[in-house]
Amino acid sequence: MSETNAYNPKKNIEIAINNVSVVFKDNKGNDVKALDNVDFDIHKGEFISLLGPSGCGKTTLLRTIADLLEPTSGNVRVSGMTPKEIRLMQKFGIVFQSPVLFEWRTVKKNIELPLEIMGYSKKDSSDRADEMLEIVGLTKFANHYPQQLSGGMQQRVGIARAFGIRPEILLMDEPFSALDEFTKEKLHLDLLRIWEKTNKTIVFVTHNIQEAVFLSNRICVLSPPPGRLSAVVDVDLPYPRTTDMRDTPHFGELVSKVRNSFEGGSL
Amino acid sequence: MMKAINKIRSSKALVMIVWVLGILVIWEIFAFVVVATKRTPENVLPHIWQIIGSFFDPKPVANGMSCTQIVLVNAGQTLSRAGQGFLIGTIVGFLLAILMKLSRIVEKIAAPYLMLIQLIPILGMAPIILAMTHDIGSSRIIIAAILTFYPVATNTLAGLNSVEKAKYELLYSYAAKKTTIYFKMLIPSCIPYFFTGLKIAAPMAITASILVDTLQGDGGLGCMLSQSLKHAMSIYVFWDIVVFSAVIGVLSCSLMGWIENLISPLKRVERKAKKKEAS
Ligand SMILES: Nc1ncnc2c1ncn2[C@@H]1O[C@H](COP(=O)(O)OP(=O)(O)O)[C@@H](O)[C@H]1O
Ligand SMILES: [Mg+2]
Repeated sequence: MSETNAYNPKKNIEIAINNVSVVFKDNKGNDVKALDNVDFDIHKGEFISLLGPSGCGKTTLLRTIADLLEPTSGNVRVSGMTPKEIRLMQKFGIVFQSPVLFEWRTVKKNIELPLEIMGYSKKDSSDRADEMLEIVGLTKFANHYPQQLSGGMQQRVGIARAFGIRPEILLMDEPFSALDEFTKEKLHLDLLRIWEKTNKTIVFVTHNIQEAVFLSNRICVLSPPPGRLSAVVDVDLPYPRTTDMRDTPHFGELVSKVRNSFEGGSL
Repeated sequence: MMKAINKIRSSKALVMIVWVLGILVIWEIFAFVVVATKRTPENVLPHIWQIIGSFFDPKPVANGMSCTQIVLVNAGQTLSRAGQGFLIGTIVGFLLAILMKLSRIVEKIAAPYLMLIQLIPILGMAPIILAMTHDIGSSRIIIAAILTFYPVATNTLAGLNSVEKAKYELLYSYAAKKTTIYFKMLIPSCIPYFFTGLKIAAPMAITASILVDTLQGDGGLGCMLSQSLKHAMSIYVFWDIVVFSAVIGVLSCSLMGWIENLISPLKRVERKAKKKEAS
């Protein structure tokens, strides 16, 4: 696994972010620049993090990839196509900060929802949901309702739902930021395990440096204000990653390197 | 923890008991006062036990029928019309809410009418509708339908509008079609709101139907109510109808809750969780 996921500049470009700027209007009608000429590429199969303090434009950038937002200038291309084309081909999976589960559906039915929409047969979506439940360790809770689960379990359902459709590209917006440290560390390992199995591209938004270093091949560091790409840092820790790597000197060096790459030096 | 929850639950029951007892005591105080003043040929405010007793009294009070017989015979007419009106109002209200959600234009056109319905005392329109239809039965249905329609439409619409943006974005990311968005997200989300509307509307439809009865002498609970008040028959008919309608009103509301539990498994789960907590 470590070879296939290690950063390799000759790899296929999957997502090209070409000079993307996004300008919002605030409620007084003034321009607010959320992204300023962001330009970089995301490679096929890599785990890339968009890292930066809150308000620096991470969500905005993710939304331009997901076709939830048009850039004011510049463009995004995914496998040479527009995000809209890719979305209509149902190749995106999204995980939000909150789990966004449908309260009236059981855990299993929530995982089946996108499969139903994509026209899978009842049996196929049921089988796929069972498989995903197994992977995220929620088989016992298949017939529970979301409100009967803890926050961490709910987030796992959201991840199972996103991976269940086997998306080419998985977009995750601070999926673990509302969780406690113990749950978070466990979900980090779960997420990496699933990713190593499926080898899909993951774009992971976070404001947590350790989280970004632990999970990613590469980290895009965004700096405020306005949202500029200040560095792209390679993380040369091998996969599969283990919790004790967090305590190694190299991990600490990487964390410092990322921290120092923020515009204006240390935060 | 368990103990604390049980305490709150039992104190809730306690509040309820105190509340009911309070009403009964106040009632009885007034009943005794009225008995003491005795200006009318018959006691207009009987004691509670007298009202309960009158339900079981086989003595005919009018047309050879006992109190209970009069209530039940007339209830059939009134309640079946209330039920039909309720059903029509529910269907129209629900469909209108969906249409308002589907189309900005429909919403813009319908919104002022919804406001208007809220402002006009609908029961004041009852004589006009009766004059137009010349039929007390249809008038009952129409008034019950109008009164049902408003809470159902507004609550359902509120439910449709309550869906969080992230859910839309999730379905958007799957390139879901509009029908999918409605059937898999919007309609399931508005069901609890829809039932809130039904719970408000059901007793209103019954009350409306009874009040429409009073416009004509052709029978129905309201008709008997006004005759009894005018001393054309025993005052116990009036009180029995009041008690009966109150009970039916509460039952109609709980019937809606029961149907909701039946069709929504989520409700069953929530109830089970509550029970578990209590035990
Ligand atoms: N819809 C919007 N309208 C106006 N301003 C917005 C909107 N969305 C984001 N912004 C602004 O753009 C900037 C970047 O926001 P965001 O991408 O959400 O940051 P992050 O996800 O890094 O916390 C912030 O200053 C925010 O206030
Ligand atoms: Mg954000």
